Amino acid sequence: MLSLAVFLPIVCGLAMFACRGMTHRARQVLTEGVTLVTSLLVLFCLMNKRGVAYTPLYLLPKLPISFCIDGVGSVFAAIVAFLWPLATLYGFEYMEHEGGENHFFALYTMTYGVTLGIATAANVLTLYLFYEFLTLCTLPLVMHGTSKASVRAGYTYMMYSFFGAALAFVGVMLIIGFGDGGAFVMGGVMSEAAAEHPLMVQIGYLCAFLGFGVKAAVFPFHVWLPEASVAPTPVTALLHAVAVVKSGVFAIIRVTYFSFGAQVMRGTTAQAIALLLASATIVYGSTMAVKEHHFKRRLAYSTVSNLSYILLAACLMTQSGLTAALAHMLFHALIKITLFFCAGAVMVKTERTQIEDLRGLAKVMPFTCATYTIGAISLMGTPLLPGFVSKWLIGSAAIETGTTLGMIGVAALLISAVLTAIYLMGPAMSMYFRPLEGMEPTAKCDPGMRMKLPFAVLAAAIVLCGLFSDPIITLLAKLSAGVM
Amino acid sequence: MNILLILAIFWPALAGLAIFLTPSLKENKKLRGQTVSVALGIELLLTIIMCFGKGTQMVLLNMTPTLRIEMNVDVIGCIFSVLMSAMWLLSSVFAREYMGHDDNERLYQVFYMCVLSALIGQCYAGSMVTLYVFYELMTLLSVPMVVHERTPQAVAAGIKYLVYSIFGAMLGLLGIFFFSNYLGTVTFVPGGVETAASAPSGLLLITFLVIIGFGTKAGMFPMHGWLPTAHPVAPAPASAVLSGVITKAGVLAVLRVIYYLVGADVLRGTWVQKGFMTLTLITVFMGSMLAYRETLLKKRLAYSTVSQVSYVLFGLACMVPAAFEGAILHVVAHSVIKDALFLCAGAIIHQTGKIYVRDLRGIGKEMPITTWCWTIASLGLIGIPPTGGFVSKWQLATGSLETGLAGFDVVGPIILIVSALLTAAYLLPVTINGFFPGSDYDYSTLTNKEGSKLMTVPMILLAAGVVLTGIFAQPLINVIMTAAASIL
Repeated sequence: MLSLAVFLPIVCGLAMFACRGMTHRARQVLTEGVTLVTSLLVLFCLMNKRGVAYTPLYLLPKLPISFCIDGVGSVFAAIVAFLWPLATLYGFEYMEHEGGENHFFALYTMTYGVTLGIATAANVLTLYLFYEFLTLCTLPLVMHGTSKASVRAGYTYMMYSFFGAALAFVGVMLIIGFGDGGAFVMGGVMSEAAAEHPLMVQIGYLCAFLGFGVKAAVFPFHVWLPEASVAPTPVTALLHAVAVVKSGVFAIIRVTYFSFGAQVMRGTTAQAIALLLASATIVYGSTMAVKEHHFKRRLAYSTVSNLSYILLAACLMTQSGLTAALAHMLFHALIKITLFFCAGAVMVKTERTQIEDLRGLAKVMPFTCATYTIGAISLMGTPLLPGFVSKWLIGSAAIETGTTLGMIGVAALLISAVLTAIYLMGPAMSMYFRPLEGMEPTAKCDPGMRMKLPFAVLAAAIVLCGLFSDPIITLLAKLSAGVM
Repeated sequence: MNILLILAIFWPALAGLAIFLTPSLKENKKLRGQTVSVALGIELLLTIIMCFGKGTQMVLLNMTPTLRIEMNVDVIGCIFSVLMSAMWLLSSVFAREYMGHDDNERLYQVFYMCVLSALIGQCYAGSMVTLYVFYELMTLLSVPMVVHERTPQAVAAGIKYLVYSIFGAMLGLLGIFFFSNYLGTVTFVPGGVETAASAPSGLLLITFLVIIGFGTKAGMFPMHGWLPTAHPVAPAPASAVLSGVITKAGVLAVLRVIYYLVGADVLRGTWVQKGFMTLTLITVFMGSMLAYRETLLKKRLAYSTVSQVSYVLFGLACMVPAAFEGAILHVVAHSVIKDALFLCAGAIIHQTGKIYVRDLRGIGKEMPITTWCWTIASLGLIGIPPTGGFVSKWQLATGSLETGLAGFDVVGPIILIVSALLTAAYLLPVTINGFFPGSDYDYSTLTNKEGSKLMTVPMILLAAGVVLTGIFAQPLINVIMTAAASIL
């Protein structure tokens, strides 16, 4: 069942390459159908098949490719399964302006399967394999525009990703070598190795952290992410705010808690370096976002910063840290995809890309601007909305550790919160309170139903997550305690 | 009582949204204004009823296992909430005339009502987290009131307001993180949860940062910069509540941190108390000085707020019962007075279009009621008996003498008195030039420009309030005494 969920989108995507002659409508029905079926499969697996491992293939006798949906993986799988059908729906209307839909949606669907593969990988080799696939699948999507800028962005993306993968490979080899095949076990498999070769394990951890950190846009490996915002919005929204970057984060969570082990790594220099890098990235990303005047690039820098919120929490290597990391992974995914969708809607409907051009847009795009504002006030951490909950969790988890590094992290978090207010509320305020320029105030620029529906669903999800955060957080806390 | 508590908190917001969405109220401006006033009247009633429900406790919402929105009605909360809803009602009546020709008035009303909800929630908050939640909501909801005019200056002022406030709130949040770590709880306990002997060393620094953070809303130096920018650009009824009431939200937060969380015993005599007192005294003097130099009428009042709210903070910093009473009395007195002054300024601007103090020659002949109200309120702010301002300043000065901190017990009263002189110097010229324009004043063009009853009645009521809070201060003092006894 689980393997089916992973391979169905991949196979269907490949099939779509083969049949080029499909009509728009047929392709849309097929794509959305496959995506929905896959999401239902994931839902079924989450309900019934948690903790059961499947091994469809052995690379070498001791190197199985196997899948298993456990607590942490189910969070990532659930996020992806919820957002993918919405993003696909949004993509239909959006991509009419971009063209090349056949191979776009083929790759887009394949990426879904690959991401699920990462979410459900049961050992480090499987994770690594799908991680590499992810780079390959998404590379053509970044270069979809075929303009000079997109090709350059694609090139940057490729170089950074392969560099990261190579670095991560060192860590992966170490885990497989010392950790008995590298199956994911809560608490890690490296405690013996760490006792024997402490330095090597630390270096291995750093390699894995930095390597997977490339996709998670850790400073100084974040450069590709803002560049990649030239890609079509469905790509930047889903892949560069959720699937790809969160794969990096997820991989780091996996190796930290399930391979190296939080117990083993806590208090080491490697952890200190990881925490400092995350803190630095938080402030750096927000600062760059404030300086940036291109709407989508600003959001991309915001992603850089927010991904490191998750990493900061995860690298605290405590149970409450993991809870906080999972919470922010979920909430940031919801919020950031919403913000990108809004930016994309503004871009295709009015061809405005700079922050300055957003003035007065609330008059002609009320629905889009309202959704953006909900997203913005959530991310800046307004109470009763999800951003506040995750900030609260991260902050208290960091203080709880009682270390200087934790306090540095909290300081970074709060500085960044102020900057977030500046870079997100500035556009929102000019949308509502500045006069509209260069357009008739009677014009109606809100997008059609296929874009509005994802807006509405996401905005509702954000508000509900904020108001009813208690059951969600309780569940995440249980998951991170390894109970389920 | 629980249902009444929920109603008291959410009634304004719900009523505001209902009024916004009801189709028959969309077109009919007059009916809408009346409905708003009635809704706020009900809210005032609700908050008064809540005074009989002291001790009501409840958990509104669990956000995470450690993050609870809990309410607890106590004396301080009741005083603040009744005061706030009363000011809100009077300003809304004034706004019906002032904003009569404003296209965006409907939107303004929604936010106006929602802000009150957040403020009332803050009054009844039973823990630091709850207070923070409502504080942030209030900040965000009040931004549209600041940028209401939609000019570039207004938007810039709104952003400045937002950034300062968020920065302050972040320091507050930082404090909450540390408090829950150091103290093990952030639920308010009268007198604080910590004893001086067992206080961890980092607690003092964090407390100081939190005071600066929440002091931002109260316009305390060094985070006062937003206030003179943001208050004057808002429409006058909004400036009135921004200056008169919303600054008190910062005061309330500081009060809760010092007296209900950390404990005055821990802070008394430490560098935190001295530092806090120094900052407030600097602000008192600086605000008055800047107000004296300012020529724009509303901006002068905004600087005056900077100065006056720090009187209150100074009272809180003294940490003796007399000063605490003075602080709470001054919260009441300043709210009433500043509301009155801003409404007078608004009436003058609305009826004559004059925005500079120097243009107000003869205003007493054109708008006698307004100028009389201004005069009474000014006397109150200077601190002349028998107004509320006199009683509160008397208590503040007495309290500061009792602190026993060498230096502060002398410098404090002196600065308060110097600032009172400056207050006279920046407020009374309006009265003097207004009533005595000089022999060269051209009486032939004189017309009565007084506004309608919707404008004058709130002003008269507030002016009466200025005097009544002075004459009948004793019942209020008795109530405050009970609160002071439980926390000091």
